[in-house]
Amino acid sequence: MSAAPITTQTTVGHADANDRARVRMSVKNLDFYYGQFHGLKKINLSFYDRQVTALIGPSGCGKSTLLRTFNRIYSLYPEQRAEGEIIFDGRNILDPRLDLNELRARIGMVFQKPTPFPMSIYDNVAFGLRLNERLPKSELDDRVEQALRRSALWTEVKDKLKQSGMGLSGGQQQRLCIARTIAQKPEIILFDEPTSALDPISTGKIEELIEQLKSEFTIVIVTHNMQQAARISQFTTFMYLGEVIEFGPTPRIFMSPEQRQTQDYITGRFG
Amino acid sequence: MHAEPPLPPIASDVPSAWGRVRGSRRIADKVLKASAWIATGISVVVLFWILGMLIIQGGSSLSWSVFTQATPGPGSEGGGLANAIVGSFVLTFLGIAVATPIGVLAGTYLAEYGRGSKLAALIGFLNDILLSAPSILIGLFVYTLVVQPMGTYSGWAGAIALAIIALPVIVRTTDDMLGLVPGTLREAGVALGAPTSMVTQRVTWRAARAGIVTGILLALARIAGETAPLLFTALNNNSWFGPQLIGGIPNLPVTIFQFASAPYENWRQLAWAGALIITAAILLFSVTARYALGRDNAR
Amino acid sequence: MSAGTETVVYTETAARGRTMSLSTRNTIFRALCLSSALLVLAVLAGILLSMVIGGWPAFRAFGLGFFTGSAWDTQSDQYGAWPAIAGTLSSAVIALAIGVPLSLGVAIFLTQLAPRWIRTPVATAIELLAAVPSIIYGMWGLFIFVPLFAEYFQVPVSNVTEGLPIVGTILYARSPTGLGVATAGIILAFMIVPFIASIARDMLAQIPTVLRESAYGIGCTTWEVVRYVLVPQAGVSIIGAIMLGLGRALGETMAVTFVIGNANRLSTSILDPGSTIASRIANEFNEAIGLQMNALIATGCILFLVTFVVLVVARLLVARMKAV
Repeated sequence: MSAAPITTQTTVGHADANDRARVRMSVKNLDFYYGQFHGLKKINLSFYDRQVTALIGPSGCGKSTLLRTFNRIYSLYPEQRAEGEIIFDGRNILDPRLDLNELRARIGMVFQKPTPFPMSIYDNVAFGLRLNERLPKSELDDRVEQALRRSALWTEVKDKLKQSGMGLSGGQQQRLCIARTIAQKPEIILFDEPTSALDPISTGKIEELIEQLKSEFTIVIVTHNMQQAARISQFTTFMYLGEVIEFGPTPRIFMSPEQRQTQDYITGRFG
Repeated sequence: MHAEPPLPPIASDVPSAWGRVRGSRRIADKVLKASAWIATGISVVVLFWILGMLIIQGGSSLSWSVFTQATPGPGSEGGGLANAIVGSFVLTFLGIAVATPIGVLAGTYLAEYGRGSKLAALIGFLNDILLSAPSILIGLFVYTLVVQPMGTYSGWAGAIALAIIALPVIVRTTDDMLGLVPGTLREAGVALGAPTSMVTQRVTWRAARAGIVTGILLALARIAGETAPLLFTALNNNSWFGPQLIGGIPNLPVTIFQFASAPYENWRQLAWAGALIITAAILLFSVTARYALGRDNAR
Repeated sequence: MSAGTETVVYTETAARGRTMSLSTRNTIFRALCLSSALLVLAVLAGILLSMVIGGWPAFRAFGLGFFTGSAWDTQSDQYGAWPAIAGTLSSAVIALAIGVPLSLGVAIFLTQLAPRWIRTPVATAIELLAAVPSIIYGMWGLFIFVPLFAEYFQVPVSNVTEGLPIVGTILYARSPTGLGVATAGIILAFMIVPFIASIARDMLAQIPTVLRESAYGIGCTTWEVVRYVLVPQAGVSIIGAIMLGLGRALGETMAVTFVIGNANRLSTSILDPGSTIASRIANEFNEAIGLQMNALIATGCILFLVTFVVLVVARLLVARMKAV
């Protein structure tokens, strides 16, 4: 495996080492509005290359809203708007001239509910590839197989690639969605509570998968499950009422949070 | 993931640059969006074109005599549509009067007694077929059912034909609207010891009243402009009619049909006036119905 | 459901008398409801029966030749339904060819593209298009559309196609009056748009938001989302909606009668006048006697059976979506 991580592995307490890691995406003074409602207030954050960053906080704190600004999926809804800057690969994601189709190919998203498209398993994975690239059949087959292997689904589906993706179990469907996303070679993958609709065994598999994917992709995950954040992330952002309360390496946030609210949330006093 | 040791990397180490989206995708997208706008534009333009035509042509032909005088015979001067307007009122309201009780009771059977039964499912399904059946065939049916045995065209035949067209509309909306009434309401009624008939009449109907009335209004809008089923049932004529409704009964749609491309200028004028009147009435019914339904659903 | 048995047993006779009368009323009410519902079946069966009985003499006289014969001659009492069948089918096909893209465009516009402020007024306008009576479409067709169609389509097209093989046959107007099968098809197209569009719109609107978001989330353009995800997801129900439109186009009478030209002869050109089953019945039935009347009812029988099958398939396809 050639992709050598730039930072040391996930390790505890090395804030200095982590800070030296390359910043993949940075958020500056981000405000978000649902019509009149001020959903996010002056958010400043950085996301590091090939690290998993978890967004946690009580329901309605704005963690999903924040995630949905990174691929501008919110712009499907005219009453929602964002102000500020999100810098990715030298450009502001919020720039209205930015090509959204390209942005979303480079910043992939996996949703709360598995969403296989109404087509075969093969076509689901090949879907994103076909949008932008004209690949010969053999190379397409290859890329589909790679993506399915990387999402730990290949052995389960290799004999039924022509069957509908809707026939798979919930956990398999979610891994299919991950395969579909990574086949496009995105640079960042956004996970929006990817396991909240799944049973514990499927959840375990997805977590294991995210652990492996971080060697190649920068990952941002929204989760309401604090154990999950602690298990799989290197950085954690605690949000409350549309603001970032605290951001830092996951072990520090969980072991010695600096803010009172963070501590209260982590110890289960609210949320 | 355990059994397959060598996993090739997916992402390249070199970050790709912006600008890799194929231009053809953007063009296809623009073409689709433009086509959808154009398709909608054409449809809306047709509506306003038709309304504009009616207002210009019909408006210039409207006068008091349209509402006070009877339809003129061939070659005679002036005249109005009074008998046809009254005839249309009579036919339409007779049709609704026949269809409403039957339709509401049939819809009640489907919603209250027949839920889950095969017979109710079949009736509901065939009702939807009747809803879209060609109206001219209903005219033929009533011709053989009523006109032939009676030996004469009559307002009754016309009203029956219109009732048959209104019936499935009322059945469908009644069934749907009763279906929206929460089951807890019925249970509360039954728990008091009231039989289904009483719960239905005193509770469920009342809860769904606005929706059922909407269905009747929609049926009214549907039959008020129907022409084909009247051609061989109510027929048409240029005089007033007696209360027994025997013989050809003047009515607006058939008058418009006969006058529109007639060789007499005053006939054509009256056809335009009639077209404006009938469309205005129908749009009024249907806007009222939709408004009532929208308000009802919003609640 | 045995509705009549849910009575409370009282010991006092007076009370028992009251509940028994209630249960009798309940039985009567139930019977009324059931017989009203059965009346719907009876009407449908009656229509079929009256068509079969009324048309039987014509079917018997001409046999299978009734379907293929193209004579329609009151002098020699020879009748064949083929020209009317062909006119019905070709005008309906033209209506679908134009109406389906228009309807889908409207449905896509309303569910995917329309800015919020424009959505409700446009949706209302499309619904009103469905409420306009067919005779008004006929007048618009005859007095507004027909002259324009003759001048800007029939004449130029006929000039180009004259003498050419195939297109010179199908797309050539012998007398470019604007009336004809193609004109009828175009008017029908506008008439079926609101029906197909409103069902297709409901189907597209029913698709879960998260599926649409994940299609956009992978980088699809709006066209790609609609083409590869939404339309396949709505699936056969869209075909059901189209078939409902077809059922309407096949049986539509007044608008067609105004603009089709009402020719009894069969022409090979869609720009020439023709007739449909419905328009022929509307035109001739009141003056028809004897075998001619039977022949007209027989064509009505054919129309009924064809639309019945189309509508049954359409409803089944649409219902399948609703069940999911």
